[in-house]
Amino acid sequence: MEARDLTLEQIQIGDSAQFERAITAEDIAAFATLSGDANPLHTSEAYAQTTPFGRPLVHGMLLGSLFSSLVGMYLPGKRCLYLGQTLQFKKPVFAGDTVMVSGIVTTKSESTRILTIETTIAKNGEAAVTGIATVQVLA
Amino acid sequence: MKTFNELVVEVLKIPEADIHDDLSSTDVPDWDSMNYLVFISRLEENFNISFTMDEVLQAKNVGDLRKLVEARAKK
Repeated sequence: MEARDLTLEQIQIGDSAQFERAITAEDIAAFATLSGDANPLHTSEAYAQTTPFGRPLVHGMLLGSLFSSLVGMYLPGKRCLYLGQTLQFKKPVFAGDTVMVSGIVTTKSESTRILTIETTIAKNGEAAVTGIATVQVLA
Repeated sequence: MKTFNELVVEVLKIPEADIHDDLSSTDVPDWDSMNYLVFISRLEENFNISFTMDEVLQAKNVGDLRKLVEARAKK
């Protein structure tokens, strides 16, 4: 898949983008290796069973990294310079879950070429991760 | 809506007591080129105004930006 190539002029407040992503146990293992976060809450079935969650959780930052795909590939895509991202982790996500990653443009500055995008990762229609992305649309 | 100084504190990380109109990028560690643009976009969003690119580039300190906001707010 190639990144979309939206210009600032083509983007309006209220524009949105979304994609679906299934999270696998392999994703969790790969993220643990990549990030160095091998906390047993994410990597040990036996340990996770002793917690209120009952099974290993997907890393919050693995989910958060999907917002990088959202802005880098979809909205605005190729011209994106990612300046910032807030994150709130609201509900647990587990291996085998499919999540919907979405964003909606809430502000657009012509002078600075900066957009703010409300970003959400939803599981079964409920927000699991929310945040605000700040991106610049390169000329 | 936040005040101008509240946004200075929040984005440029300057204690409110230290804010004065002569503050510029040379005085403020968090006033880098990208954060400056984020600050401008937060001002636009907060006060529901728009600056021109020339205004953004010509503003040299906190006082210049405060005057721009006040001028827009009067329109």
